[in-house]
Amino acid sequence: MARYTGFDTAMLIWVCALHCEAKPVIDYYRLSKSHDDNAFDLYQSDRMICVISGSGKLASAAATAWAAAKYHEHPSIAWINLGTAGAANHAVGSILLVNKVIDPDTERVYYPAVIPRPGLATASCMSLNRPGYDYDQAHLFDMEACGFFNSALRFSSAELTLCIKVISDNRCQQSGRNRQRVSDLIQQHIERIDQQAVSLLEINDEVASREIPAATWQRVMAMARFSQTQKNRLRILLRYLLCRSYSIDNLADKIGTQTSAGKIIDSLEQLSYLDSRKL
Amino acid sequence: MVSCVYIEEEIREHPRTREILKRLGKIPLIEIAHYGEVFNPRAQNFRLQKKNPAIIIARKNKGHVLTAPEGYGLGTPHNYYFSHMLNCVYDCRYCFLQGMFQSAHQILFINYEDFGRQIRETSAQHGKQPVWFFSGYDCDSLAYDPMTRFTDFFVPLIRSIDNAWMELRTKSTQIRSLLAHSPCPRVVTAFSFTDHYSHRKLENSVPPIGKRIKAMQRLMDAGWPTGLRLDPVVYHQDYKAEFTRLLEEIFEHIDPEKLHSVSLGSFRLTRDHFRKATRLYPEEPLFAQELVLNNGIISYPVSQEEEMIGYCETQLMKHIPRHIYQPCEWHG
Repeated sequence: MARYTGFDTAMLIWVCALHCEAKPVIDYYRLSKSHDDNAFDLYQSDRMICVISGSGKLASAAATAWAAAKYHEHPSIAWINLGTAGAANHAVGSILLVNKVIDPDTERVYYPAVIPRPGLATASCMSLNRPGYDYDQAHLFDMEACGFFNSALRFSSAELTLCIKVISDNRCQQSGRNRQRVSDLIQQHIERIDQQAVSLLEINDEVASREIPAATWQRVMAMARFSQTQKNRLRILLRYLLCRSYSIDNLADKIGTQTSAGKIIDSLEQLSYLDSRKL
Repeated sequence: MVSCVYIEEEIREHPRTREILKRLGKIPLIEIAHYGEVFNPRAQNFRLQKKNPAIIIARKNKGHVLTAPEGYGLGTPHNYYFSHMLNCVYDCRYCFLQGMFQSAHQILFINYEDFGRQIRETSAQHGKQPVWFFSGYDCDSLAYDPMTRFTDFFVPLIRSIDNAWMELRTKSTQIRSLLAHSPCPRVVTAFSFTDHYSHRKLENSVPPIGKRIKAMQRLMDAGWPTGLRLDPVVYHQDYKAEFTRLLEEIFEHIDPEKLHSVSLGSFRLTRDHFRKATRLYPEEPLFAQELVLNNGIISYPVSQEEEMIGYCETQLMKHIPRHIYQPCEWHG
């Protein structure tokens, strides 16, 4: 499978606490372990990576922030926190999309976007500091979701940030410490998880498509010296014209031999005025 | 398609909440402490949300009635607005609501009685002078009326206050509830139109022009005061012919002598709203046109705006009596 080679693609980043929770994803998407000197275990392909954060909200927040920093040059990053959770009212093996995350320590509440997607029921989730077996509320219980959201929402919007939980234990049954069992519980839902990932990637691509590719930006920047104000104007003009199907080669032709920043902007402005006359 | 409903815990059992939920049918419900938790965070993508907005059922605790911005109104001195909803069900590319809030979710405030109390108090402050209350500033007044039953509460309220006037501004055709009431001479339903070309290009999910003209005609025939808002006029290659055609179509069905008021304005946005809209929709030709900044407002260059408004006014005056005409001075 092709490896990640550039900054122009939208990225999907999976954050899992344990390797056994990540394994179904690593296998399904054939992610390869990165042997770089990383702060967290990392598996990657050309458009997605999976980070193993370790247990707990602090670890999850740190891994998410670390991944965001490492891949910040990508035009858009989508996130999925995948893991297991306990629940009072759900059968072991059930899969749920989290629609509300509660941090009982800080009383902060996060609301992942609920975009209609087929197939998954939704539930709220409370992130505890240690494993809890007191199933007396209507929430799921995990140890990472609030840390993950705390970090991910600094880098991406709620619409690009999902949290999927598979129930590993309830009042009657507990399988949280058996690694193979955890992998199996998640593995049985891998196609439904993939559906979520695919639909998230589509949205992520849509967001990324409205950004200026890094190589294009660098090419235009090399044409002249632009002030910050000119760069701001240039960004608007380029985003418009590139979205309207002009290629950078078309635009370079239109710019012609202009070498001053002002004249380059003038020629792109004239082009955008002309293009927009038909609305 | 509504993605889910967020409900403030405190009003979960409010009769109006229960009615709204009944009308929404089976949809995920998520309890929240305060609407700001969902509506205000920065990490939201307005454009993605707009495709499947959620509904937030909430209570408004303060600022139920606010002074209208300068120039907003119909030339009378006492103008206020109130918003039983925040955000619009429609998606018009020229609208300032694109840059107004972090979120595209639609908030429905259900404590109408608190709005009513402030409308009464505000009206009383002005003695017998007419006081206008505009309901379509932060939302479309009628689009959600079948769900919110907004008019069932506010029309009788305005009728009961002698000096209160209300404008319902809309692009919808939801007039059934109004028609069930006897007409109130102090409740004006103002229909907004742009020409067919602009409508096709810029007004996503807005009902067709013909259907809205019919709705307007039905209200007028039933004795309700109606207004015409030709705002914004957007520049495009055929704007003259398209505007003329729009007027002909409207006045084929609408008796101008029965119109309460007509207003006209060209496309304009505050600089902040324009920036946000451009960031959200970088590919939008409307924002790539030649526009200028003047006193914090982005609009067409003065000579172009004068030509556009001049042309449109001339055409409009062929159809309406001058005294019902009010140019738009407000900049959204």
